[in-house]
Amino acid sequence: MKHALYSAIFGLFLTSTTAIADDMPTFKLLMKDGRLHPETLEVPAMTRFRLEVKNEGPGAAEFESLELKKELVLAPGVTRSLVFFPMKPGSYKFFDDFHPETGQGKIVAK
Amino acid sequence: MGNAFFVVWRESLEAFLIAGILYAWLQANDATGKGKRALFIGLAAGAGLALLLGWALLTVQDELTGEALEIFQTATLFVAAGLITQMVLWMRKHGRQMKAKLHAELSAAAERSGLIGVAIVAALAVAREGAETVIFLYGMAQEGDLKALLIGALAGFAGAGATAWLAAKSLARLNIGLLLRLSSILLLILASALLIAAVDRLIGAGWLPPLLDPVWDTSTLIDDSTKAGKLLADFSGYRARPALSSLLVWAAYWGVVLFAWRRSGRG
Repeated sequence: MKHALYSAIFGLFLTSTTAIADDMPTFKLLMKDGRLHPETLEVPAMTRFRLEVKNEGPGAAEFESLELKKELVLAPGVTRSLVFFPMKPGSYKFFDDFHPETGQGKIVAK
Repeated sequence: MGNAFFVVWRESLEAFLIAGILYAWLQANDATGKGKRALFIGLAAGAGLALLLGWALLTVQDELTGEALEIFQTATLFVAAGLITQMVLWMRKHGRQMKAKLHAELSAAAERSGLIGVAIVAALAVAREGAETVIFLYGMAQEGDLKALLIGALAGFAGAGATAWLAAKSLARLNIGLLLRLSSILLLILASALLIAAVDRLIGAGWLPPLLDPVWDTSTLIDDSTKAGKLLADFSGYRARPALSSLLVWAAYWGVVLFAWRRSGRG
């Protein structure tokens, strides 16, 4: 009984997350050779969105933003997604923690 | 290469510092050598765990397992912060007993739990940042630039080791009371930084409301997205734009720690 309840809750959780995932705008970020493409991402303010981060290498990269409280390590060739919560209009910095000299970018919410 | 040096130095510094401080403390307080053995076992276990975690982070592609890893990493942050804090308080009590020449008769159970604590703290310190170093080095190895990899990475490890050795050495020069107090303060600040990192992860994943974000903005004073600022953020928990929930957790942490510190000092 308990088990059934858990799987039901889990199923509900899965469908709810996929439901949200479907109507979320998706933006793409490419990390390549220590640089970010594009360096400025424009996103709608007060909207949940998904950021698909791809590291084309060579070398590992780490998407990081203390302001946005995100941290994601990517081996070369790996693509992972981050979900961002609605943010107020403004400019938010992020960087490649493995290439701090060259990999500086910002997300502008409008 | 310079970049490899900096990244490896920064990623391994925390583990080396924790190991160095614990070593300096054990050197002064634990004549049996059991503590140091526990420390080295912990460091070795941590290196194994780092490889495992790094491999997991490399191979995981789908989101569900990604989320599980995220939860695991957040949990290790909390556990590490909690254990370091508990250990500092334990050290304070233990250290006072030694100082008062109340020789021995720490019960065997208390001693064993203390040693296990040392080992786990060391293991977690190595495993957490070590996993990222593993991925970083793996990426460099794929680049094919093995010479730069070796030189940069080794120099980074050596640099972090030297930094920690210097810290431990200068700590060991102090008298025992000061050594105890200073190493405790360093470890507590480090623990609070881990706690803030964990809270940030919870907020970032949407599991904890930020309440008010940001409360203030000091990025014009110290920008935490620069190299030096990030270093400060990693080791002290500094944030240029802190969320209210992070601030509350930080304040609660230091409140509890100061209270426990005073109480253990009286006993």
